[in-house]
Amino acid sequence: MTKQRIYNILKKEWQVMFTEVNSLMLVTLLPVIILAQGLLYVWLIDKFGGESMISSAFFQSVLQKISEIMPAVSVLTIPEQLQVFLLSQFNFYLLLIPVMIAVSFATFSIVDEKQTRSLEALLATPVRTWELLLGKALSGAIPAIIVTWICGLLLLLGVQILGWGHLLEYFLNPAWFIILFLLTPAISILSFLLGVIGSARAKDSKSAQNLVLLIVLPVLMLIGIQISGLVWFTTILTLVLAIAIVVIDFFVLKVAVRLFSRESIIISWR
Amino acid sequence: MLIETFNLTRKFGERTAVDNLNITAEEGKILGFLGPNGAGKTTTMRMLAGLISPTSGYAVVDGIRPDKEPERVHEIIGILTESPGFYNNMSAQRNLEYFAGFYNLSDASAQIEKYLRLMGLWERRQDKVGTYSKGMKQRLAITRALIHKPKILFLDEPTSGLDPEVSQEVRGLIKNLSQEGYTVILSTHNLSEAEQLCQRIAVIRTGLVALDAPANLRQRLFRHQTMIKLEEIDERLIGAISKLDFIKNHSREENTLFIELADPSKHQPELIKSIVEAGGRIIEVTDKKHSLEDIYLSLLNEEEKI
Repeated sequence: MTKQRIYNILKKEWQVMFTEVNSLMLVTLLPVIILAQGLLYVWLIDKFGGESMISSAFFQSVLQKISEIMPAVSVLTIPEQLQVFLLSQFNFYLLLIPVMIAVSFATFSIVDEKQTRSLEALLATPVRTWELLLGKALSGAIPAIIVTWICGLLLLLGVQILGWGHLLEYFLNPAWFIILFLLTPAISILSFLLGVIGSARAKDSKSAQNLVLLIVLPVLMLIGIQISGLVWFTTILTLVLAIAIVVIDFFVLKVAVRLFSRESIIISWR
Repeated sequence: MLIETFNLTRKFGERTAVDNLNITAEEGKILGFLGPNGAGKTTTMRMLAGLISPTSGYAVVDGIRPDKEPERVHEIIGILTESPGFYNNMSAQRNLEYFAGFYNLSDASAQIEKYLRLMGLWERRQDKVGTYSKGMKQRLAITRALIHKPKILFLDEPTSGLDPEVSQEVRGLIKNLSQEGYTVILSTHNLSEAEQLCQRIAVIRTGLVALDAPANLRQRLFRHQTMIKLEEIDERLIGAISKLDFIKNHSREENTLFIELADPSKHQPELIKSIVEAGGRIIEVTDKKHSLEDIYLSLLNEEEKI
């Protein structure tokens, strides 16, 4: 029965979300923009990665870092080394997709229930709070994960098509796959649950959307930390980070179930 | 008893919404909750439906404690909330399929079709709920409460905001449901609605003011009065009536006399004879009916004095 209920929630959430223009745009346009932006940067280095650019202090420090952590790239030209660096960072950048899709779907899903006042009738059915939250979380996380994976695939295709295929062996390491196949789902679910927790307190879609920005910030920080070279996410560190987020997901689900109590919803959601 | 509460109490901070409420509801009957705004009717209904927990005391619904096992209670109840919400971008049928999906129903489609036809919504089942009128949404909400064949139906202000024609339809429907064996708990402000539909009425003002059948409440509060309308009332007539020893009490309002008799069936003919003999010209003789409104106001006034 639990599976049937979760599937029931998933089906309905998708039906509602995908008739909304904003949701559709988020799922289609955002990944295209992020992917195009990433490929554009790599292309710019390929096209304009001349001496003047490379001699800047920032790129010098990046090159220094690359030589420390990826000694194998020393056989490549300096612009190629920078391209490998950017491509290896790109998966962290892709994490913005599941975060933004999941949080937006979460806030939309909860705020819609608030605005239509449909939740009291829903809570009067035998559905359990965790089933409801998991169903909603998966409804946001599944499209977010699929879209991110498609983006990862398109990135590899783009690299091949644009003539950088020989760089694949340098950045396609286990960490790249861990980010895509473990960290992406874990962060999607975490983002969705945080979105649910926050929007349960939001009064309207505007304040819920402000919350989306707050939840995106830690992921931006993660990207910043990696790019600045403050902490380099090696395979082991990426795996530890992914497992830590999976564990956090369970705790946050528990917290969400507690905060999402039927009583507070029925009494205070107006 | 299908429903029983034991000192059911609910507080919101310092404010007591429901105070030591002890009520019972019989299977297959309609129990009405009557009371002014903020009297605790909706809170009581929510506690019985397992949507909120009592601060103290408890309820038993078909042998289940709603505060302990809300999901089990949800299996056997259907609820029409005060402002029933739907997913406006989905069709009526899809809305119902979604809600039916939370119950273990083998015949959900048949149930949905049955009640949509009954409610006169079958032809518009594919229309988005957002295009429905308030009356249609209300009928759809009742359908939603019924699709899983619940044992108990909680209806919170089912005719609120509906036009008289639709209200009448909804009332007819509730009556039919009771005849089909559903136990209905009906919260309403509409006294004539409660009188038409409810076998028993619980007058609630935070606590229980009274719980009984309307006829019993009437009898408890008001003595039987014979109402006699005359062409004219003069002092001679009043004098003649005052001499009759079976008259317990009498009063006058313009050309109408209100007379309380010791034994109405025995003394009414004698009274009429005496009036005619005293020269009175009678237009109409009836029993004075006390409306539910009279009972309700009298109960609340009585409680205020206490």
